[in-house]
Amino acid sequence: MHFKRISVTAVRAFVRVGPLILIAALWQLVCGTGLVNREFLPAPVSVAIAFADLFSGGDIAKNLLITLYRAAAGLALGTICGVWIGLMMARSEKFRAYVTPIVGGTYSLPKSALIPLFALWFGIGNVTAIAAVFLACLLPMIVNTYHGVITTPKVLVWSAETLGTAKHELLAHVFLRNALPDIFTGLRIALGFSFVLAISAEMIASTNGIGKLIFMFGENGTYDYMFAAIACVVVVAFLADRAMLAVTRYSLRWHESAVSRLDERRA
Amino acid sequence: MLNLVRPKIDIRRVSKTYASDHGPVPALRDTDLAVKEGEFVSIVGPSGCGKSTLVYIVGGFLAAEGEVVIDGEPITGPGTNRGVVFQEYALFPWLTVRDNIGYGLERQRVAVAEREKVISRLIGVIGLSGFEHRYPRELSGGMKQRVAIARTLACDPAILLLDEPFGALDAQTREIMQDELLRIWLENRKTVLLVTHDVTEAVYLSNRICVMSARPGQIIQQFAVELDRTRPREELVLSNAFNDLRNEVWLSVRRQALAAGQGTDAL
Repeated sequence: MHFKRISVTAVRAFVRVGPLILIAALWQLVCGTGLVNREFLPAPVSVAIAFADLFSGGDIAKNLLITLYRAAAGLALGTICGVWIGLMMARSEKFRAYVTPIVGGTYSLPKSALIPLFALWFGIGNVTAIAAVFLACLLPMIVNTYHGVITTPKVLVWSAETLGTAKHELLAHVFLRNALPDIFTGLRIALGFSFVLAISAEMIASTNGIGKLIFMFGENGTYDYMFAAIACVVVVAFLADRAMLAVTRYSLRWHESAVSRLDERRA
Repeated sequence: MLNLVRPKIDIRRVSKTYASDHGPVPALRDTDLAVKEGEFVSIVGPSGCGKSTLVYIVGGFLAAEGEVVIDGEPITGPGTNRGVVFQEYALFPWLTVRDNIGYGLERQRVAVAEREKVISRLIGVIGLSGFEHRYPRELSGGMKQRVAIARTLACDPAILLLDEPFGALDAQTREIMQDELLRIWLENRKTVLLVTHDVTEAVYLSNRICVMSARPGQIIQQFAVELDRTRPREELVLSNAFNDLRNEVWLSVRRQALAAGQGTDAL
């Protein structure tokens, strides 16, 4: 029985990484047969060698930290402002009337298109990257927070009031608590955007960061190193997403969705 | 001290009209009702007659024409002197059973030691020992409603407003909950205003039953209930006195429901 469980876990793990291994094998095969020019598409093996080389040099760790700092700062600022604006929109009709057209107008705007403009305003480096990340994270946070607050059941607010909750306490004790599942939905979207925008900004307007590194390797034609740097970003972004999911699961353990997730894990 | 002269709740010429896409809908028209201290009054009537609206107005959740006077003071909004229990439980899903019951005490800055004492006593009263640290999603409907009642009782409000509190429960659980409510009421004799569509429930629990007319609602008939509450349920419910009164009230409500039906046919 114990062994059975272990083998089930192993099979499940293999099913997960299986497709990735398959793609790598196909990739290697295509490169090996010479179907494509190896100059333009390096084989996975040479990417792995480049990866090892980058890591031993310490270059990648330094640039990765810079990128992470920019992504995290933009995400934090965007989250704080986004939650606040979403909350205000839901609670004040006047505020909503002013902000709705701005949110609607900028929602589908590709934020990366503004990076050259930001570079002009804020120069090359941290501020431009953080501003781009901030703007991209802001909108999903506003929209999701607004939805979470506006859908607060009236009976919860009324109950809170008869139990002695002052008007100014309602925000923290009822509205934000009710919006928490939506805020986490927004955070997960914003987290993805934060990596994309930090790296895009670095490619266009930065002297360092992993985006700049990817760009440089591409310019130089060292595609194995470029792929190694991209792989690095993929791994870090994946780990960040998993960490976010773990935090979400813990914070929303009271939520209805927690039940279905538990069942899913048991099944 | 019982005040026999001044009513505890005095509803004076209260009218309420809702705005809708099809024009204004009158829900209540010149409703008057005085409830004495320690009295248990039920409001029954056809569905949509505005009986819940009346309770929401007394709760201070809805503004209306006319006035509601509590202890000689006109109300201006929700207050801790009026505890409310809703049909949909309205528990805070992000708080455990314990924290839901203690919520009002915490908001009203009751010392921790005193708070713990009240919570532990109430958990015993509602028979949920062992469930203190569960979240509402992990409870059955009957358990949720018990927690909602305990949460309201924790703050010791002078008035209980109950809006179809057992409407979402199955027949057996409903009877058990009615017995518990009756027991609690016999112990502390709070002033209770109960809205229900269940005539048997109204006769079983209250001192006085008010029948409301079809929309726009008005109290058109009242029945005094003089039954010995200390008798066991079986004896009381099977007695002639109980059944005669139940039939009378049922006929009165039925006439209103039929009138409402004809009203819509005429439209």
